[in-house]
Amino acid sequence: MDKYIRNIYRGVYTVLVGMRVTIRQFFEPNVTHQYPYEHDYEKKRNVREIPKGYRGQLYNRIEDCIGCKKCEMICPVDCITITGTKLPRGEQLWDSMNVVHLKDGTEVIGIIEGDDKKIKSEDSITLTNITSRLGSQEVIDRLEPSGAESRTATFSGDEVSRVVTRNPVVFYLDQFDIDMSLCMYCGLCTEVCPTECLVMKDSLEGIEYSKFDRSDLIFNFDKQEMYSKGGTEDVEAAD
Amino acid sequence: MSDFRAMLASPHFNVSESFFPNINLQDGLNWAEEFIQNVVLPRLPEAVASHFPVELGTVLVMFACAGIFVGVFPLLPLVLVLAERKVSARFQNRTGPMRVGPWGVLQTLADGVKLLFKEDYIPPQGDRFLFLLAPYVIFACSFAVFAAIPFSQSILVSDFNIGIFYIMAISSVIVMGVIMAGWSSNSKWSLLGSLRSAAQIVSYEIPLGLSILTIVMLVESLSMSEIVASQSNGIFSWLIFRTPFTFIAFFIFFISSIAEVNRTPFDLPEAESEIVAGFHTEYSGMRFALFFIAEYANMFAVSAIAVTLFLGGWEGVLPGYDILGGFPGFVIKSLGLVFLMMWLRWTLPRLRVDQLMNLCWKYFIPIAFFNILGTGIWGLIFPEDTLISTSISCAIIYIGLIAAYKVAGRTLAQRPAPQPS
Repeated sequence: MDKYIRNIYRGVYTVLVGMRVTIRQFFEPNVTHQYPYEHDYEKKRNVREIPKGYRGQLYNRIEDCIGCKKCEMICPVDCITITGTKLPRGEQLWDSMNVVHLKDGTEVIGIIEGDDKKIKSEDSITLTNITSRLGSQEVIDRLEPSGAESRTATFSGDEVSRVVTRNPVVFYLDQFDIDMSLCMYCGLCTEVCPTECLVMKDSLEGIEYSKFDRSDLIFNFDKQEMYSKGGTEDVEAAD
Repeated sequence: MSDFRAMLASPHFNVSESFFPNINLQDGLNWAEEFIQNVVLPRLPEAVASHFPVELGTVLVMFACAGIFVGVFPLLPLVLVLAERKVSARFQNRTGPMRVGPWGVLQTLADGVKLLFKEDYIPPQGDRFLFLLAPYVIFACSFAVFAAIPFSQSILVSDFNIGIFYIMAISSVIVMGVIMAGWSSNSKWSLLGSLRSAAQIVSYEIPLGLSILTIVMLVESLSMSEIVASQSNGIFSWLIFRTPFTFIAFFIFFISSIAEVNRTPFDLPEAESEIVAGFHTEYSGMRFALFFIAEYANMFAVSAIAVTLFLGGWEGVLPGYDILGGFPGFVIKSLGLVFLMMWLRWTLPRLRVDQLMNLCWKYFIPIAFFNILGTGIWGLIFPEDTLISTSISCAIIYIGLIAAYKVAGRTLAQRPAPQPS
């Protein structure tokens, strides 16, 4: 009889112990990743260190690219496609111009009156032929009363953070495509690149970039907006 | 029915109050007969009208109710299957189905559509007639159980005076469908599964019935609505707390119910690691879906019966207040027990056949008889359910639990070595 009751007691007790273990698991966070939609590195969890120099996804900093096509030529599997346009002699994408970066983060594109090489920080800057205004509403509001024809604005030295000169463009890339479904990760293209703008990512983003469609693996690096097409249209309209 | 429409039309119509409208079958029947008397008969020719069966309205309303019944209740397993998958996923730190619909809520719907379009295979060497009949027997029986369960004061299909007896009887017929399925499949897995199921269900009906008997002794009625009505004075009038013996009976009833619906740890009839899928091994397509729906409907049914018998049914926690009461309260309590079933499923491994029989015949049945004896003596001492009897009962339960908890440390410290059986 003693054994019988003991047996019941032990049975109930062990079941309760087991139930305590499982209910604790019930409130643990789950470990599942919804893989194609979310990645390890996005969750900032379970991220492993990738060795330096790992040959991952190809990435091209198009700002530095000179369009020499050496990478296209050396690629053993022809996964890089580059098309450039060289304008005829005498033509250019835009005139030489200045980009004034204001301290509030806005940019104004135009031509600075006088010699822009000699600008000192305390001088006020007068921009003429303003072609494109990228920036906050306040700057645009300040420019509007000056009239569409003159396109002139003056900024005091306190406002301006830096002035950049944009040279005229006579050569630009129409297409810089890398088909990562073809790439064999040999790294030859990164070795021949003279400006070292073509690199292989050695981060988790560069390892795992699976896509649902094969065409999504063709990465376009040509930044057409870099040539400020809106700006050129503005130039034409002003002329 | 007319009350309901008047309520909708009234300017004081309050959504929160009348979200679950009073569905009274008798009102509906009267309304249908009045409709035939006043609207249909005057428009008919005299010769037809004199022979027109007025009872046709009653029959039509009953058919409509049956249609609602059959249409609504299969949705319940649809939800429960998803809940099961989600809960089991949580217990294993997974997410469960996530791809069909937001958070995978449409997964069961997709599975159902898939099953509808699957091939309906019938084993050529089997007994064709029984093979076709078996899923319908199980399906019909598991849904017929719902006819006697009072979901709330007004939502019940039929309030007959032998409600719990009817439920016991109908749910026993399920085992016949299981044996039919196993025999007619002409497969050794199916036959083994069905015979295991028969042995198990027949065994576990006994402690189940004996636990119900304690309730019937206290309430002195087999009617489900009277059992609920006797628990209307708040949580301490619930039959689980009425005597210490019903407290034990609840657990025996609940565990036996798990065995009755063939769920883990008592899922020997469909033990997939031993006998493929048990009695429904050879079934495919919609016939398999019927087994599946019936299984989950059963799961909810036994929880609902346990709630009705022991946990106050649709009566609330406090007398006069509607906390955990009414139809929502009933469903919440039932789903709580369903969750407990899932919790047990993911805690305990499957029992062996001899362990299964040991548990039933050596432990549950003697304890259930002891409960009946105890309840009888309790009924002699306290013929009426009073404050004193309830307090004594709750005190005994409380002291018993505390004592068991205190002894736990000592027993666990001894930790006997596992004995070879």
